[in-house]
Amino acid sequence: MSTILKIFVFPAAMVLMCLGVLTILGGHITPGGGFQGGAIIAAGFIFCLVVYGLKESPFNLSHDFMAAVESIGALGYVFLGIAGLIFSGFYLYNLGVDIYSIVPTFIKNIFDYPDPTHAGIIPYLNFVVGLKVMVGLSAVVIAFLGFREFEENEEEDQE
Amino acid sequence: MIYAGPLILGFVLGFVLGTRIKEDPESKLKFGASVYVVFLIVALVVAYLLGPFPYYLDVPLASGFMACAVGIILGKLIFGKPKALGQIED
Repeated sequence: MSTILKIFVFPAAMVLMCLGVLTILGGHITPGGGFQGGAIIAAGFIFCLVVYGLKESPFNLSHDFMAAVESIGALGYVFLGIAGLIFSGFYLYNLGVDIYSIVPTFIKNIFDYPDPTHAGIIPYLNFVVGLKVMVGLSAVVIAFLGFREFEENEEEDQE
Repeated sequence: MIYAGPLILGFVLGFVLGTRIKEDPESKLKFGASVYVVFLIVALVVAYLLGPFPYYLDVPLASGFMACAVGIILGKLIFGKPKALGQIED
């Protein structure tokens, strides 16, 4: 890749990631949400991987990191759902908003999202979905780049 | 008025992303402090142009965007150490 691209892409990828985070944060009241924001963040990672390559990319996603973040995303979603089941009897009941007035006030306060819309657990669900999508899409590209590198090394060994 | 929700979640996500910035010492391309200063200035301009997204009520900047930018830089400063020579991560 050209030197201009190598200088430009790293800061541009960070700005792209910030935009992805903003998309996740506004998911409950504007177009966007966890999946879209996570995909934009993954686009930032992929931008770096394509330009710098797997080895020299400044964003270094290890296998352990990806496994941990993916697990946190999936388990966070499940636990938020189970919390609704425990306190209201409905899976994924929006405890922070409590439409049917069936949960105690202190539980409602715990799950209330501190912003003017008071969207309850929806922003938290967007957050965990964003984590999962970000890592999932990045992992696909990392795997493809890794396979290609492996094939190239194997061809060199055969020669 | 500044709302805590987007600031906290934006900072946390940015911090997690920032911890992953680990430069390869064998690479010829180095990203010094100037890259992060440029990033912060660009982030400030973009946040201003985005306006008070997503709540349209609070400060004239996109507060979640700025929180994420600060989180990335702090994450890099605290945990983003360069990889050791020849280190291959799992």
